[in-house]
Amino acid sequence: MRARLSQTLVHIAQADSKVLLLTGDHGYALFDEFRRECPAQYINAGVAEQNMVGVAAGLARTGFRPFVYGLSAFIPVRVLEQIKIDVAHDNLPVIFLGDGAGFVYSFLGTSHQSTEDIACARAIPNLSVYSPADRFEAAACMRIAYESRAPVYLRVGKSDRGDVHDAVPQEKIGRLLEAKSGNAAEIVFVATGSLVRTAMDIAARSYPDAVVWSAPFIKPIDCDQVASICKRHRVVVVLEEHSVFGGLGSVIAEIASEYAPARVLRIGVRDRFSHCCGSYEYLLREHGLDGAAIEQRVRAYLGAN
Amino acid sequence: MAYAGSTVHIACAFSIVELLAVLYRSHLRYPGNDPLAEGRDYLVLSKGHGVMAQYACMREKGWIGDKEVKGYFSDGSHLKGLSDSRNPGLEVTSGTLGHGLSVGVGLALGAKLNATDQKVYALVGDGEINEGPIWEGALFAAHHELKNLMVIIDENGYQAMGSTQEVLKLGSIQSKFECFGFKAMTVDGHDEMAIDRAIEELWSTASSSPKALVAKTVKGKGVPFMEHNNAWHYTRLDADTYRRALAAIDGKPQ
Repeated sequence: MRARLSQTLVHIAQADSKVLLLTGDHGYALFDEFRRECPAQYINAGVAEQNMVGVAAGLARTGFRPFVYGLSAFIPVRVLEQIKIDVAHDNLPVIFLGDGAGFVYSFLGTSHQSTEDIACARAIPNLSVYSPADRFEAAACMRIAYESRAPVYLRVGKSDRGDVHDAVPQEKIGRLLEAKSGNAAEIVFVATGSLVRTAMDIAARSYPDAVVWSAPFIKPIDCDQVASICKRHRVVVVLEEHSVFGGLGSVIAEIASEYAPARVLRIGVRDRFSHCCGSYEYLLREHGLDGAAIEQRVRAYLGAN
Repeated sequence: MAYAGSTVHIACAFSIVELLAVLYRSHLRYPGNDPLAEGRDYLVLSKGHGVMAQYACMREKGWIGDKEVKGYFSDGSHLKGLSDSRNPGLEVTSGTLGHGLSVGVGLALGAKLNATDQKVYALVGDGEINEGPIWEGALFAAHHELKNLMVIIDENGYQAMGSTQEVLKLGSIQSKFECFGFKAMTVDGHDEMAIDRAIEELWSTASSSPKALVAKTVKGKGVPFMEHNNAWHYTRLDADTYRRALAAIDGKPQ
């Protein structure tokens, strides 16, 4: 998925000399191809993320199309005010690539883990929030972000969990994509990013008739489509590698409560920092976000509700 | 404007009046007197709380009228208490400090990459350079040899809650910018001839360095009872202080 993001960025930059890639001294190896193919469009702004976002705003004002890359703990969270004031306030076409979202940096600890970025970003007017699940969604999200000529935060989480689609989906901004079909009325899964794969595995194992939706667009999201999904099912299970406060679970629950009351089970990070370090799988288990723990919660919830 | 709107930040605007007057009169280029002209020079008011002085200049340029000036700080006014980029003539939204220089650095880099001869002036406060991003921007500007960028530091010696000496010592601002790779000068920020000459001299330097002009100013300049009295960072005018301030500016005994 990261390779596809990098390739897509190279293609976009080759076709448009106004595209610039700014990085806060991150992206080792990831941008080798970009630096080889488009060296004049690459700027390492140093370990100075706040300045980097202001510079991107100035560049956008002079006709450039900046992509600002960093770890999602820094882009957007550390520089939230610069994004709000310097970029979003004037709807400048700057795309923020926040890599390593969720628990990707499982061994490093809380500093590099990012489970509040969606909540922070989606409250900023004009700023869209995309969260792709596989290489197809990632490429489409990047292209749509570029074509939108508006500020976008593109969240890149655990990226090696395999494809959830068979081909490049015909994406439209805001649409949820069916990752697995089915006709169960009792339960439906809606997930984003890394946990789409998990939802598909759980469904295949225990709820073979359940539909699994992937939400590559957190904001804007197709409100009618979400309401219609909520209407058709008794329990909507939302999964994300992000806090249960302010992420996709909140988005779905907000829409459901206004337009289509349904039981919404929000599965995500429950208002806690990681205690220990370890492998990515270890950390998911620590947070109860591994497949077995999620399945158990879903079963218990269905039984109790 | 300050009295009609019962506004704060009066002294903060008064310290940059001459700086802005010289820039608008002799240096900033606006083709067709259009504040949005494509090839214009950029004036970035990073210390957004000084915006009242810039509104006065925009009125002189004919970009805003008396009606807007009179409505400043009132319900439904586009002229806010801090710089808002949606007004043609104001390049950035500022007030939260330490933002404008970085945007100015981006404008300067954009102009350089576009191979235009546009110049960028970023006006920052001395209190404002407490902010870390100012120094991130300074490093970046020097590294990228943004010789079309001039940072002007309004050194009035005060910030919101006290003197810069009391709050966070700045030492020599000129030598700090020189250390960061700028060609820097210090000037009396109320002497228009001196400001004009210093700007000319900085631009005429052959080096590829960005420029820094430290302007020694007086907070509340022009009204004796406001000068060096930091209460006027926030104090509003009443009928009596308004009358006395006008008399002082007109040179009449109070």
